[in-house]
Amino acid sequence: MTLGNTFKTSIKGLLTHKSRSILTILGIVIGITAIMLVMAVSRGAKDLILSQIQGLGSQTIIVRAGREPEGPSDFASIFTTSLKDREVQALKNPAFVRGVLAVAPNVIGSGTALYGSETKNASLLGTTTDILQALEIQPRYGAFFSEADVAAHSSVAVLGSEVKEELFGDSDAVGETIKFYDRNFKVIGVFDNIGQIGAFDIDTNIIVPVTTANQYLLGNNHYTVIMVRVESEAVIERAADDIRQTLRELHGITDPDKDDFFVATQADLAERVGTITGILSALLLSVAAISLVVGGIGIMNIMLVSVTERTREIGLRKAVGATTGDILRQFLFESVLLTSVGGVIGISLGAVLSLLASVILTRFLEVNWGFAFPITGALLGFGVSALVGLIFGIYPARQASRKSPIEALRYE
Amino acid sequence: MINNSEILLRIRGLEKIYSDDGGTETPALRGVSFDIRKGEFLAIMGPSGSGKSTLLHILGFLDRPSGGSYIFENKEMNSYNNDELAQLRNKKFGFIFQAFNLLARSSVMENVKLPLAYADVPEAKQTPIAMKAIDAVGLSHRVYHESSKLSGGEKQRVAIARALVNDPEVIFADEPTGNLDSKSGGQVMEFIDKLHNQGHTIILITHETYTAEYAERIIKLKDGLIESDEKVSSRHHAEFKK
Ligand SMILES: Nc1ncnc2c1ncn2[C@@H]1O[C@H](COP(=O)(O)OP(=O)(O)OP(=O)(O)O)[C@@H](O)[C@H]1O
Ligand SMILES: [Mg+2]
Repeated sequence: MTLGNTFKTSIKGLLTHKSRSILTILGIVIGITAIMLVMAVSRGAKDLILSQIQGLGSQTIIVRAGREPEGPSDFASIFTTSLKDREVQALKNPAFVRGVLAVAPNVIGSGTALYGSETKNASLLGTTTDILQALEIQPRYGAFFSEADVAAHSSVAVLGSEVKEELFGDSDAVGETIKFYDRNFKVIGVFDNIGQIGAFDIDTNIIVPVTTANQYLLGNNHYTVIMVRVESEAVIERAADDIRQTLRELHGITDPDKDDFFVATQADLAERVGTITGILSALLLSVAAISLVVGGIGIMNIMLVSVTERTREIGLRKAVGATTGDILRQFLFESVLLTSVGGVIGISLGAVLSLLASVILTRFLEVNWGFAFPITGALLGFGVSALVGLIFGIYPARQASRKSPIEALRYE
Repeated sequence: MINNSEILLRIRGLEKIYSDDGGTETPALRGVSFDIRKGEFLAIMGPSGSGKSTLLHILGFLDRPSGGSYIFENKEMNSYNNDELAQLRNKKFGFIFQAFNLLARSSVMENVKLPLAYADVPEAKQTPIAMKAIDAVGLSHRVYHESSKLSGGEKQRVAIARALVNDPEVIFADEPTGNLDSKSGGQVMEFIDKLHNQGHTIILITHETYTAEYAERIIKLKDGLIESDEKVSSRHHAEFKK
């Protein structure tokens, strides 16, 4: 029989047992839906994180104190005092690190800001004037503090747009005095809406000279993060290597695994995000795979029942000339068709659910969670569902094709 | 003496032993020998369990013998593999069973087309050929009816149309009137007789004498052996004629 005819025969066979066919493919539908959801959501998450990292620009290197955390239990290693003035000076020295434009040491914290009767929980960013160049930002109103302010440990503050909004509403902030960490700060500038840059959300920050922050607010003499701006994208990797080298020499470290700092570029971070979302997807996909195997076994089970039920049909077909291959293909097509239909339903369902997820996440997490129909996911889902039908259909189809015409015709 | 060139099939010492899972062996045929000429109308009779169906299945390439030889058109059956047998069944043989064996949820047309599809007849040609066969059994008014909704006599006529659609050499009929009343049984026999008159070889199993009387020759089986093999001197079947 021609393949086209066999195919038609299979379709007819499935339509004859519609409700059973539909029940059979539920497992496949669920599995493929899960694959689609995982791919769409993990891609959304990745895109979101990447868009935040991208704000860092391709010319900024982040140097963090502490070893790169290797797991949740490693958290304590983040808080170390390995980055101080000595390190900042070293990174500024072109003999050690080549191609550097600016080095901005920062400390972070958080506290309550007060203005009149308004309060706002704000993040503290203590930094130097170099941050402007490192992140390529400028206040919208007023001015940023000067090097003299940093040197003098001045109590001046520049506000992120959200902080300004909460404390002052529409009225002017520049020139007013706010209380932060129980200390009075004169507001000298306000940033526009900037959004996330690297790990910072400037909008929710109050930015003060790092010297002021360390001396009066935190009682520190070390930095959390040093931001290094380099001349161009071309030299960023070399500069990152120079930084590692310099800090290791300074700290007498020979084994890179013992680093008490952690250097990252936008490219590094993006790669890291890719790895993490990759691992997550792999985990979730393996759950989907299990449901597909279960679904496949269900298909096999139903196909075996169907083969037994249709023994007479098989016998008759063989009597009028069906070869072993004809019967094998007929039943194989049936199971592949069955799972492919399940796959298509799963793909559609998965697309709808992930669209829904993106809407819900955008609303409740207040982030811009994008939705894109995962074409690779759809192709993968379709391929996988057809494959499941093929793999789990082979055994029942062989059983069918091996029936002798007599055994099949005598069957009551 | 029969001219050798006219011989369509020849069996010699044909045996069939069924063995089930438990290891018990049932000898159904215990050495059967005869020749059938091209165009002959043979009836096989005998008590229940005497091996009639078993013999017909082997002759129709539906089953293989346990011993002996079966030569069809000058070639030993055992020299064919299963797929070759399937193709020969498709081209050379047509089957009519007591239980009709139609595809219940398919139309008359689809049932009759089935052998054509397995013969790889192009789609466009299948319908006219099948239509001719359906016409020949007088079911032109039922072409697209679901076969399960037909009467017993109509079902068997669909089976006859299916059996003749590939213009086979031999038509095998295993008690084709067994499930029918005498009127539709008579009708079915008339169609089978017509096929014989058109030159088809007919091998018919029956236990009703009046059905057997359509045949030119009657072989009686008993316990897997031939009891008698006789020519029918006077074929009279007027009682079924309208
Ligand atoms: N698949 C089988 N396995 C075991 N024994 C079988 C099988 N098929 C037939 N037999 C036995 O072989 C013998 C002949 O069976 P067969 O069907 O050929 O008889 P029959 O002459 O057609 O009988 P009936 O007139 O009742 O149809 C019987 O004893 C039957 O029980
Ligand atoms: Mg029988």
